[in-house]
Amino acid sequence: MEPTDRFIFMKKYLTLINTTWQRALTYRFTVFAYRIGEMLEIIVLIFMWSAIYSDQQLIKGYTLQEMITYILIGNLINVAVRNWLSESVSRDIKNGTLSTFLTKPIEYINYMFFREVGRISVAFIMSIISQMIIILFFLDKIILRFDFLCLLLIMAMIILAFITEWLISYLIGLIAFWTDEVDGIQATASRLRKFFAGGYFPLSLLPTVFVNISFALPFAYSFFVPTQLYLGKIDLATGVKGIAIQIIWIFLLLLIVKTVWKKGLKKYEGVGI
Amino acid sequence: MHVIKVENLSKSYEYYKKQSGLKASIRALFRRKKMYAKAIEKICFNIDEGELVGFLGPNGAGKTTTLKILSGILHPTNGKAEVLGYKPWERQKEYQKQFALVMGQKNQLWPDLPAMDSFVLNKEIYGLSDKEFKKNLDELANVLNIKDILNTQVRKLSLGQKMKCELAVALLHKPKVLFLDEPTIGLDVVAQKNIRDFIKEYNRERKTTVVLTSHYMEDISQLCKRIIIVNLGKILYDGQLDGLIKKYAPYKLLNITFNNSGVKRYEIEKYGLIHKFNQFNVTFKIDRAKIKETAIAVLSSDLPVDDILIDEADIDDVIRKIFSSNKID
Repeated sequence: MEPTDRFIFMKKYLTLINTTWQRALTYRFTVFAYRIGEMLEIIVLIFMWSAIYSDQQLIKGYTLQEMITYILIGNLINVAVRNWLSESVSRDIKNGTLSTFLTKPIEYINYMFFREVGRISVAFIMSIISQMIIILFFLDKIILRFDFLCLLLIMAMIILAFITEWLISYLIGLIAFWTDEVDGIQATASRLRKFFAGGYFPLSLLPTVFVNISFALPFAYSFFVPTQLYLGKIDLATGVKGIAIQIIWIFLLLLIVKTVWKKGLKKYEGVGI
Repeated sequence: MHVIKVENLSKSYEYYKKQSGLKASIRALFRRKKMYAKAIEKICFNIDEGELVGFLGPNGAGKTTTLKILSGILHPTNGKAEVLGYKPWERQKEYQKQFALVMGQKNQLWPDLPAMDSFVLNKEIYGLSDKEFKKNLDELANVLNIKDILNTQVRKLSLGQKMKCELAVALLHKPKVLFLDEPTIGLDVVAQKNIRDFIKEYNRERKTTVVLTSHYMEDISQLCKRIIIVNLGKILYDGQLDGLIKKYAPYKLLNITFNNSGVKRYEIEKYGLIHKFNQFNVTFKIDRAKIKETAIAVLSSDLPVDDILIDEADIDDVIRKIFSSNKID
């Protein structure tokens, strides 16, 4: 690509991010309202664990302080990597909006990637802020650690997790090429993802085999693994290995996305939605 | 020079046959019979630069399928098609920058934002310079009279205003070929006329090749000299609008108004086939060759003639006749 071409390429997507930003801002109240629910859910979780811990010190090697840290830091990371892409993609396919993109000099996957970046940015910032507020509330109850190398590793993991999560959501959205109803699949998939990510409770509460399996899957890197890193329950070497696994998953997912897209498009053309 | 070349183009859609009822539904989970529905079959036509051609046909005739193939959304099952020298379904960027597709039923503007934001986005997608963008937008906003609404949320615009903005956003990159699929659908009469006038003017000034589909006869007869009539995936007629009337309506309409106490049916039956009758106004269907002598005969009779009018057959009637007989030659 020539430098000017690259500039135009970037500008195209910056404009897209900007446009989605504006759209999200139009709905700032909705975005804000969602955050209240999120905050409540976390507070409920903290109360629940506090009650469980009232007559014991340690559960599977977790102290109450560690558990609260797990919930708060984990959710902070999770709001940074999540997206709502599946619905957008399946809607575009179902109502035929996809056709418009096929006639324009822009790749749909790129368009969606940057659109999603813009779309979630407002929710992203608001979520980060609301998570920070909760953390401030429980500041005396959580573990604060500032290990520079560890934080760097966590950052890298978060960025890769964002891409992985995005590709998985995109893939789920593409199911709309084959089925008319995608809401059910989406809801089930999102619950499974949250479970495998350790979003409901630390995966270490489950048998070791299970933890080992989830290290090999892409989901745990959006919640469980980086939080474990933060808590110092796994070492940096394991973290680096995790990043390698994430990169392998990204390539694998890209390959799957490409194949599924090609097949789906053929189907789309076949039925003429 | 032919801008659009279509040769023996066919497209079949896949679908699965399923009987109604729960039992059949369960059976269909395991074994489904794949069927093919022919949307268009061996269609041929060429369109020259600057032409404004109307595709006319009832729902499911194959109009939209043809446009979708020409704009690269669909692969044809068989046959050849070329637009500006490109195979549309290869979706080359160079081709995509030279045409636009506007679908009356599908919007590309973001409903939650002012149209202006979608315009800016399209500017970047098509890689227009600031200068080009400003110039084109000013021109379009002027002609379409949408300057005041560019900063209103699209959701809040009327259907007519929305359509104007849709046209503007599609024309920003000055396409050489414009495909319009049912551009006036759902609009009121005034809005329809505005859109129609704009398309006509735009085609005349810019020499943009326009292919338009509609099932409103008005659209076609007001805009297009040449029409292509399709039904059940086949071309029934391709040619001038007047030619169509001459070909399918070998008669003209002779309309006579009577005064005083009017006429009785038996008094006038001898002049020809009566198409419409009431006491004071009668319409005959008369052979083209005989129309003059019939008119003279009526005028020179002692019937109380007030006014006399010779008219072409009603285009709607002609089309209806073609669709119902579905004659192919």
